[in-house]
Amino acid sequence: MIVQPHPLAADAPWVVLKFGGSSVARVDRWRNITALARQRREEGARVLIVVSALAGVTDALAAIARADDPAQRRAGAEAIAQRHIDFAGQLGVDAALLAPWLAQLAELAASGGQAHEQGHCAWQAQLLALGELMSSTLGNAALRQAGLVSRWLDAREFLQAEAAPVEAGNGWSRWLSAEAARDSEGDPAMRRQLLARQADIFISQGFIARDGDGCTVLLGRGGSDTSAACFGARLQAQRVEIWSDVAGLFSANPRQVPGARLLQRLDFEEAQEIAFTGARMLHPRCLGPLRRAGVPLSIRDTERPDLAGTLITPEQPDAPPSIKAISARTGITLVSMETAGMWQQVGFLADVFAVFKRHGLSVDLIGTAQTNVTVSLDPSENLLDSDVLAALCQDLANHCRVRAITPCTAISLVGRGMRGQLHRLRDVLAELGRLRVHLISQSSNDLNLTFVLDQADAEGLLPRLHAALIAAQAMPAEDDAVFGPSWGQLYAGAAAPASAPPPWWRDCAPALLAQAGQGTPTYVYHLPTVRVQAQALRALNAVQRWHYAVKANPHPAILRALAAEGLDFECVSPGEVQAVQSAVPGLAPERILFTPSMAAPAEYAHALTQGLRVTFDSLPSLSALAPEHAGQAIALRLDIGPGRGRHAHIRTGEGSKFGLALADLPAFMATASARQVRVETLHAHLGSGIADAGHWREVGVQLASLAEGLPHVRQLNLGGGLAVPYLPGEPALDLAAVGEHLTQLRQAYPDLELWLEPGRFLVAEAGVLLTRVNQVKHKGTQILIGCDAGMHTLLRPALYEAWHGIVNLDRLDAPPVWRADVVGPICESADVLGEGRRLPETVAGDVLLVAMAGAYGAVMASAYNLRQPARELVLDEGGFR
Amino acid sequence: MSAGWTFDRERIRVFRFLSARYDAESGIARLAYAFDDGPELVETLGFPDAPPVRDAARVAAALDLVHWIAGVSYYKAAIPRRIEFASRQPEPQALALLDQVYSDGLAEFAWRNGLDLRGHLSFAESDQPRSAGAAAATTVDSAQGDPALSPALPRRSLVAIGGGKDSLVSIELLRSHGEDMRLFWIGQSPLIAAVAARTGLPVLNISRRLAPELFEFNRLGAWNGHIPVTAINSAIGVLAAVLYGYDAVVFSNEHSASAATLETGGRSVNHQWSKGFAFEQAFAAVVQAAVSPQLDYFSLLRPFSELAVTARFADMTAYHQHFSSCNRNFRILGERPAGRWCGECPKCQFVFLALAPFLPKPALVRIFGRNLLDEPAQAAGFDALVEWQAHKPFECVGEADESRAAFAALAGRAEWREDALVKRWATHIAPQLPASAALATLLAPRPGHAVPERYQALINAMPDGRAPGLE
Repeated sequence: MIVQPHPLAADAPWVVLKFGGSSVARVDRWRNITALARQRREEGARVLIVVSALAGVTDALAAIARADDPAQRRAGAEAIAQRHIDFAGQLGVDAALLAPWLAQLAELAASGGQAHEQGHCAWQAQLLALGELMSSTLGNAALRQAGLVSRWLDAREFLQAEAAPVEAGNGWSRWLSAEAARDSEGDPAMRRQLLARQADIFISQGFIARDGDGCTVLLGRGGSDTSAACFGARLQAQRVEIWSDVAGLFSANPRQVPGARLLQRLDFEEAQEIAFTGARMLHPRCLGPLRRAGVPLSIRDTERPDLAGTLITPEQPDAPPSIKAISARTGITLVSMETAGMWQQVGFLADVFAVFKRHGLSVDLIGTAQTNVTVSLDPSENLLDSDVLAALCQDLANHCRVRAITPCTAISLVGRGMRGQLHRLRDVLAELGRLRVHLISQSSNDLNLTFVLDQADAEGLLPRLHAALIAAQAMPAEDDAVFGPSWGQLYAGAAAPASAPPPWWRDCAPALLAQAGQGTPTYVYHLPTVRVQAQALRALNAVQRWHYAVKANPHPAILRALAAEGLDFECVSPGEVQAVQSAVPGLAPERILFTPSMAAPAEYAHALTQGLRVTFDSLPSLSALAPEHAGQAIALRLDIGPGRGRHAHIRTGEGSKFGLALADLPAFMATASARQVRVETLHAHLGSGIADAGHWREVGVQLASLAEGLPHVRQLNLGGGLAVPYLPGEPALDLAAVGEHLTQLRQAYPDLELWLEPGRFLVAEAGVLLTRVNQVKHKGTQILIGCDAGMHTLLRPALYEAWHGIVNLDRLDAPPVWRADVVGPICESADVLGEGRRLPETVAGDVLLVAMAGAYGAVMASAYNLRQPARELVLDEGGFR
Repeated sequence: MSAGWTFDRERIRVFRFLSARYDAESGIARLAYAFDDGPELVETLGFPDAPPVRDAARVAAALDLVHWIAGVSYYKAAIPRRIEFASRQPEPQALALLDQVYSDGLAEFAWRNGLDLRGHLSFAESDQPRSAGAAAATTVDSAQGDPALSPALPRRSLVAIGGGKDSLVSIELLRSHGEDMRLFWIGQSPLIAAVAARTGLPVLNISRRLAPELFEFNRLGAWNGHIPVTAINSAIGVLAAVLYGYDAVVFSNEHSASAATLETGGRSVNHQWSKGFAFEQAFAAVVQAAVSPQLDYFSLLRPFSELAVTARFADMTAYHQHFSSCNRNFRILGERPAGRWCGECPKCQFVFLALAPFLPKPALVRIFGRNLLDEPAQAAGFDALVEWQAHKPFECVGEADESRAAFAALAGRAEWREDALVKRWATHIAPQLPASAALATLLAPRPGHAVPERYQALINAMPDGRAPGLE
């Protein structure tokens, strides 16, 4: 039965709710839709619901439109009809309500588009419109059945399209990709008319509108969002809410960057720029009407109504400049036009742009020089399917020397006040500087900075740049009003819990403070955490041997703990070998993998004589081998570049000193054969901090395909680099996913063992650095907290600008009211442990804890300034040692 | 097997064919070999759905062919001078074929290992008493009968698919001809499986497992190198045709596969020997004589140049984001182009170059994810393709004429001519070479093929110079 809630005032606000195809195609989602409509009504708003066609129906209708065969069209129409009749049954509503639409569907399918008096496109518009007309009809019935007083509204009554441009050729833009007319915006008449219809809840269609003659037209891609925006603007709504499968816009494409953060607040210009530069979530077209009308737009997840989503509002005058998102668009073609003749020549640009216009190509980015103009073309069907680029270049060649550079990727940093951020982009620029950058464009509205580079170079780049932006605070990820949870935290499922467990040291704070009382700076290593990490790795069955990269932390207690967990060791110097052998007496020599870099020939020979497994990565080191080592097995480290199929110039350019160039592989194998040593292991290690769970599989695939030509290879050493989350909100590496990827690899190459050599992953989290505050200094607005640990104790921040969490252990629960720089006692301006940290009010004598300091901490310490090294303590179940 | 025997390639005297059996119950064929009195080396082939034996004589004859030809994988580990048959002795015609497979087919292997196999080996009947196991040498060898009188094989084709452009061109030609066909490949390959699935045709994936001892022999210093794998696959295809009932086994080797890669010291070394016309004819003749006169084995693309095949493939856009001709065998595919194309081997270089005249530039670079012709570091690879100061690579790539013609076409096109390697061709290489043949002339069918009469219409359906940008 229908329950009438208390009536609304005539000037009650409107809220527009839009639901996409996957939301309206499921019965359980209709329960959510009904609940939301009821909730908005109870909050005192009138509600207009805008729906798409059931998921897949628009495509199915388009397939009918493409079919020449009447029988095929009829079969398609029958399938669509049956789907809606079935869905009506699932919703428990009367399928007879669909009758008028089903009749139209049958008729349009039977007649076909060729015979239509206004042409094929007009027929197609009518046909495709049926998807929304049917879904909204069923939806209205579902709402009423749930007890809401709702009315069905024909969108064509209120939404009119712009008059078609005169030159519109085949009618595609007139009928199938029309623009909503601006006079559809801000219209009090619509409010009055709806008020007269005696309902508080209406349901209408996205995607469809009428033209000046009252015929049905479609609003093109993203059309349903545009419809909702137009309705919202027209009704002067309090808010438009777009409900979909994802919580909102993210700081990067989550498929490429799992650590991408939900953007909770954006202004219209920023959102528009993000939509233009690649976010598929939102069509840029839909923002215009709302911006002009000043109606906020909220993007929400239908499955997770608890999440706040993204709220897009007019610009806040006091918002600080910041980078909100980074995007990558691939398949870009650059056209570079070069001629000395353009210098001070009037009309050169007009001439060449006229050629682009003649070929129907729209230019995106532009870079100019005295003798060169380079423009970018977005990938379009036109470019891929026709010879338009060839024809364009041919014509341009009459004006200048032309070069078509493709395929390129455009990487855009988006946010307000880009020009004020340049000093923070050092690491991002350094990363890009190693690649082939063809064009840099800074948008004239100061909302984006775009780099166009070789597409192959851009693979895998986005996560690194995203992390670099956060680390440099150019993307202020700790501003939790704007930056919400990461996609990984929200959607990665059980593998990555939404909230990480509290770190081990939280519970040990009093004991740690007591130890700090014995002297600082002090490193503390928590062995149970080391064991937990080791056991997590050992649980991945696809890997036969785990080698602990000793260089991360050679403390004997850690070496013993890991040996007891069944790990082997990877050493890079005789000193490390000795450290392992003395910490773990009697360790079988083949459990040590010796992988030095550019070491003296004697080191290799000695290690082989000891029976260690030895990794070579150059011809000279192998050539120097004495005959006595004939018959021994060795490992070979290859430089396979940063990814499959990456450019040679990255590989051999100013790259790393590690690994044998692939081109030298045949010569290496010939030398191995001459020295009668067998290459039994292929090894590659591509870097550290890798959070992409598929990375090691990719390395393995590379190595395995190389191994097919090398008959003695038995093992693939896929390196280490397993990321640990240093930054707040950074998702942890999904180990289960790593295991699945490696299992696939193992199944494809069952004859090859898989080895890995993690270091940081095992020990970083287990270690903290305790340091006492020497003094606190205020310099203008800057607050400096000086402590007794510095770059001589923990070098990573100074060396890599690494980010370590810092807390005041004496005031763990005090509010973080300061933004302070934490610095050390060394006479170097780089002696900074953390910049701009949120900390409570801190006084001299407080103890600070630097988190995640177990890897590359004490082992990289120095005696610089002749200051004393930190103490190292081990905390195990039985207490401190 | 004798205890204490170890593999020592220098001391091995004889390679022996022991036995071949097909078990219709399990669909598994077992091929057994041995060196001297070493362990039995057993290779297994798995035929899905365990096809029953309809004609034992034909199956036995085809199984023998597989046994003899697949032995080359093991023989090459030690290359002894003597090969013995403890199983059935081949007829003279088959023996002549084997002699070619074990010498010409191993020519590249020999050249790379600094060996000369000409006049090296001799085939003989075993002088050892047959062991009990070998008594049942070929499972179905007791069945007698004139193959010519056997029931007819159904009129349909078993088509080899390789995941690259060539077999796809054949498949689409045959499809347009209304051919009843099934696609087959041997061993695990996600690329081929994915491409085969895209065709929507029925498929047959035959499994093949090498004798595990071979890996151990490798560790002990076995010879290694290129083997005539197409010969092995052809023989397995013929056995499959007999088991499942097909009267044609279709491969997709082009005209250029017959050209020698290298002539040296009076020897010609052809990397693609078993893809060449000489092997095709010799093998087809043995199949007709020994297995069934109704069974056609041929290469549908034999009359065509690589360029003609590539031109045809350029139109088959549905496959462009799925196929790969790269010889880095990625057993796991990535989503991105780099998961299918290494972008640096001769196959990648040749396919890129050969497709370039026939595809819009943005569409071509989308396939590879990069523009190989604008990478100066790849100059040496492309030089080898045009045989400029280098010999043609040991790979299945087109002839130098074809690569030269493609470069010449690109040098005339505004969207290509400024790219590093096209420019290099035009300014440095072309002036030092005789004029390149026009692209169009290389698209015309060539004489010398064994395509049965009933497929003539397909040959006429191939492109003949209507490439875009060609006048």
